[in-house]
Amino acid sequence: MVEFGIEFVPREPYWKITFYAIQAEKIGFDYLWITDHFNNRNVYVSLALVSAYTERIKFGPGVTNPYLVHPVVTAQAVATLNEVSPGRVVCGLGVGDKTTLQMVNVEQTKPLATIRESVRVIREIASGRSLEMQGEIFKVSGAKLNFKVANPVPVFVGAQGPKMLALAAEVGDGVLINASHPRDIENAVKFVREGLERAGKRSEDLTVSAYTSFSVASDYDKALKAVVPVVAYIVAGAPEMILEQHGISVELASKIRDAIVHAQWKEAFSCVDNNMVEAFSICGAPETCIEKIDKLVKVGVNQLVAGSPIGPNMRRSINIIAKEVFPHFKEK
Amino acid sequence: MALERIARNIPASSWSVASERLIDIILNSLNASKMPSELAKTILYYWQRGQLVTEIGLERLLEASVILEPEKTISSLEELGLSEIVARLKEKL
Repeated sequence: MVEFGIEFVPREPYWKITFYAIQAEKIGFDYLWITDHFNNRNVYVSLALVSAYTERIKFGPGVTNPYLVHPVVTAQAVATLNEVSPGRVVCGLGVGDKTTLQMVNVEQTKPLATIRESVRVIREIASGRSLEMQGEIFKVSGAKLNFKVANPVPVFVGAQGPKMLALAAEVGDGVLINASHPRDIENAVKFVREGLERAGKRSEDLTVSAYTSFSVASDYDKALKAVVPVVAYIVAGAPEMILEQHGISVELASKIRDAIVHAQWKEAFSCVDNNMVEAFSICGAPETCIEKIDKLVKVGVNQLVAGSPIGPNMRRSINIIAKEVFPHFKEK
Repeated sequence: MALERIARNIPASSWSVASERLIDIILNSLNASKMPSELAKTILYYWQRGQLVTEIGLERLLEASVILEPEKTISSLEELGLSEIVARLKEKL
């Protein structure tokens, strides 16, 4: 059975995020992910509040990165959350958002080695074990938490490219595939399977999540209006290969990128067409979203993450998911 | 009359719809920074326990809604036909 996750961006005040988190738990979401960007509210403070006001839902950073936060600090944070909410904490880890990292002059060097070693550090330290590791990126000499840890924290790796997808499957407890289109997910799952084989793991040992840009509303135009800014950013940051696979003009993507860089939002958003929305989001009325989720499940996804923007009105869109989307999947 | 007492005059038959309207006003307000943190935490406490459609929950929602969006609060309650509540709210404001 497919599980459902929801992503929140702590650009909003803590009480709004926490309100929606309580709502997400009430209606039956299984996972809650909060993004980690230094220019938004702090992810762990936000998660601590989610932890205090919820009782069942699993939650974690979705995703943090080891370029800005050393993995021992991430391990400390998730282990502490796990003390507050035993067995409910997960840790999403990825290479981070290039634009945000560039603001603080941090380069995403050696991403594969960085993620591989980070996963090891987080898993070992957050499990309460002592770690001795002389890695290519991280050197840790007998690091250990000064408090007891009850449960291990599953580590999910955010991935998009072939090598990172395979690595995520190899070292992670879950993979967060950064895509929304069934064809992209199908391609990604092939690399995930390679990683599983390489590690001698079974497919049951790994949660395969589609981390989608999601917008649902009873009215398509309203759902579309909400998702266009998010799609504009995705197109602007997408590799040429991905754009070409979806028949999206590289020149047009470049035009969108330039407009975003110069804060010409109207210009940027007006360039987003239906093909881009189809390629990079799950958007529309509930039945359209159900159809697309079904396709993702058929190609091997067992967690669907409804990511930003969720919909034109967050509370109503969450309720639509509860009333119209969940019954299609949860009662199967 | 204090806001708490005004909220207590909302008939029970209107609690559900009034609660929905006030929550929408609060969550969609562009004046979110005006929300007192202690009040926000009280609302979250009631929300977690399913008590926003009760007299005490409505008291806190009305308080927050009036702080963030006084005019929208009045017009929304007017739409619900809660003219007595609106009159008392106008006196208060």
